[in-house]
Amino acid sequence: MTIFFVRQVGKVVHLVYGKSKQLEEQDSVMDFNFPAQDDPRRIEIREWFKNHPAPSGKQIAERGLAAANWPEPWGLSADPELMLIIEEEFARAGVIMPAVSNPIGVNQCGQSLLTWGTEEMRQELLPPTLSGEYLWCMLFSEPSGGSDLGALRTIARRDGDDFVINGQKIWNSAADRAQIGVVVVRTDSTAPKHKGLTQFVIDMNMPGITVRPIADMTGEENEYNEVFFEDVRVPASRMLGKEGDGWQITMEQLQTERQSMTKPGAVWGSGPSARELMNGLIQTGRIKDPLIRDEAAALYVEGELLRLLSMRHLSNKINGKPAGIEGNVGKMVASPHGQKMTDLAKRSQGVAGMVYNKDVLPLPPKHFGLFDNWDYAYWFSPATTLGVGTQEILKNTIAERVLGLPRDVDPTARVPFNEINKPNVKAA
Amino acid sequence: MNFSLSDDHEALRASAQNFLDKEVDLSSLLVPGATVAKSGYDELWEKIAGMGWPGLIIPEAYGGLGMDYIDLVMIIGETGRTLAPAPLFGTLAGSWAILAGGSEEQKAALLGLVAAGETKLAFAIADSGGSYEPGADEVIANASGGEYILTGNRSFVVDAAAADKIIVAASLNGARRYFVVDRAAVAAELLEWRDITRQVASVRLEGAAAELLEGDAASVWPFVRNRLYLLLAAESAAGTQAALTDAVDYAKQRVAFGRPIGAFQAIKHQLAEIAGQAECAGAAVQYAAWTLSVDDPRATLAATMAQSYASEAYCNATYRNIQVFGAIGFTWEMKNHLFYKRARCNAELLGSPRQQREEVVSFLEREAA
Ligand SMILES: Cc1cc2nc3c(=O)[nH]c(=O)nc-3n(C[C@H](O)[C@H](O)[C@H](O)COP(=O)(O)OP(=O)(O)OC[C@H]3O[C@@H](n4cnc5c(N)ncnc54)[C@H](O)[C@@H]3O)c2cc1C
Repeated sequence: MTIFFVRQVGKVVHLVYGKSKQLEEQDSVMDFNFPAQDDPRRIEIREWFKNHPAPSGKQIAERGLAAANWPEPWGLSADPELMLIIEEEFARAGVIMPAVSNPIGVNQCGQSLLTWGTEEMRQELLPPTLSGEYLWCMLFSEPSGGSDLGALRTIARRDGDDFVINGQKIWNSAADRAQIGVVVVRTDSTAPKHKGLTQFVIDMNMPGITVRPIADMTGEENEYNEVFFEDVRVPASRMLGKEGDGWQITMEQLQTERQSMTKPGAVWGSGPSARELMNGLIQTGRIKDPLIRDEAAALYVEGELLRLLSMRHLSNKINGKPAGIEGNVGKMVASPHGQKMTDLAKRSQGVAGMVYNKDVLPLPPKHFGLFDNWDYAYWFSPATTLGVGTQEILKNTIAERVLGLPRDVDPTARVPFNEINKPNVKAA
Repeated sequence: MNFSLSDDHEALRASAQNFLDKEVDLSSLLVPGATVAKSGYDELWEKIAGMGWPGLIIPEAYGGLGMDYIDLVMIIGETGRTLAPAPLFGTLAGSWAILAGGSEEQKAALLGLVAAGETKLAFAIADSGGSYEPGADEVIANASGGEYILTGNRSFVVDAAAADKIIVAASLNGARRYFVVDRAAVAAELLEWRDITRQVASVRLEGAAAELLEGDAASVWPFVRNRLYLLLAAESAAGTQAALTDAVDYAKQRVAFGRPIGAFQAIKHQLAEIAGQAECAGAAVQYAAWTLSVDDPRATLAATMAQSYASEAYCNATYRNIQVFGAIGFTWEMKNHLFYKRARCNAELLGSPRQQREEVVSFLEREAA
């Protein structure tokens, strides 16, 4: 069989096997250009920011900009390209995005309300979420373990129109400030561990909930908490999905969160990136040190590649292509990337950096969210390979789900949960 | 904005894959003691020429296919994945040198022959220390009548032995210029290059008659270098993926302690890391290819980043690949070492990844200034 190439003006090369084949028009030609400065959609949003220089959360939400990728009436059904424009225009206007100030609410929980919630829940909960009035928390991990989340012990028992929750959650970010949260609990102890779980949306001020902050090692912002449930009554109408959907919903939320962390920012995708690191090292002259220089270059390169992976993920979405492995792989690459970056920023400071000191490297005036300085980002960085799935769990997931390698053995996976601790099961 | 490959690109890659899976046979290299002489370099080239690949990047005006760089990396990814032994590198390098440094007449005359599959090229610029910059060890050009005469040595010249014409960097009155020399006018000696899927030679010129490339000499090396970075990076990214796939397949089959070795986390986690690097390397190559296709101001940066990242990822993946196989992966009869050696050689041929990172920082320093 002869194979030869035919070139179409302005288009990529088409292949013709044997005799000629109808050339199809293709509009999806690779193009790494970002949306232009004079893109009409950009101008429209820039105009809006001109008229609303310091918009309230409510104004942002009403304009559809809080979760622009959502369908109307909540968002603008924005495609990823428009999302990028919006992100850039928020940065340009110096306004922090709701998805950055309230990521759990807007990205994970809001998305779950769209997919799994009732219309009633959406009407009640989405407006205050998108306006930033409601801050959310995720109540998953327990003292029994975060990696083996399926082994959780918090129980919800049906009682009339309510469920009554008893147990304890731990390591819950923002639980002390949140008005609302999602909690995953066991509603059926006779089912295997992943099957008997259910998610509820709870108000954090419901009677019987006690939140205790836990000081994290940074000694600065309080990151996480423990949350106790004592006969907390939640109406059944606050259930997400059905009884037993809890595992799937929780995994979706974690997957969405990991996806959003495939970014070049130092801490879970937010904070300064290797571009800022490089600029800071150049401005301070520390880039002249040959060892710093080589490490900084390697990090710069890796940061640019993370940027490309996140963009490719967006493009694949626009083009309706199946998500590549970059969504799974992104966090695995991004977390240690951020750790190495903040570590280099710190080391470039030498012993002076061992004193409480936020002036590690100069940063441009820009909203970096909570992690708006290298010092905090550095002391926080050990957490990035723990939260939202440890590095080991991520690698397991990639090896098993992406590469198709054999699953790890979990002798407790298929047994009814309430029989796991019986002696015969332990022996298995 | 569109960071995805189009269906056309996928189709192009698939056709190259079909062709090379059929035509590339490395088995003769897997006999202990085999050298590049056993690689079937010339035979494969005949078939590649039949595909029109010598003219991939040559503009249509000169009889080539006029592909852009995204198209190109679809094909080079496949030659890299299969380690296709053929003088494609040299012909591409020489063609780029002529495109950048030749006069209109020279381009038409020389590139037409290349595109027709009648002339193979090589590009001779490195000195015996592997430096690409003018140094003490320069080839010297002297004018004699209407002609030029070259004297000196070049080393690490890919495909010099197989070439019909060699583009040689030489010093004319103290300035670097580029000349076309007939292969027959020089002595080319194959080096014992460790990657036996690629021919690399040293070239001795003793008063060799030469034709001066009449265009802008200063633009030649940056132009060629960026494209060679892309070329090697595309090979390396695809090779990384190939080494990963190979190791994953093996880890699913080989049993130890009653389980496939791929069930052990020490293996799983390392392979997951390589999957991450393969993904990043692929993105680096596509981006660099795009910047070169549209002549983006960051093309030099993008190509340099791609080469530094992909060549290291490839070294890492091929090392890990041998470890996953165990002792059998260390035998000559297995192809694992061919990939390992290709990876190592790719990470040195155009300077080390560290040197490329130095170029990255220098670029960013200039940009910041
Ligand atoms: C800053 C921060 C914020 C957090 N925010 C929240 C939050 O908002 N909500 C929430 O619910 N949780 C939150 N977490 C908890 C987080 O999800 C858990 O810490 C995480 O899942 C790990 O669980 P663990 O801490 O119990 O460690 P363990 O599960 O006990 O793990 C301990 C170690 O064992 C390893 N390990 C466990 N299982 C395996 C295995 N199968 N193979 C190999 N190694 C394994 C782990 O990788 C880890 O290194 C947060 C954690 C941090 C650090």
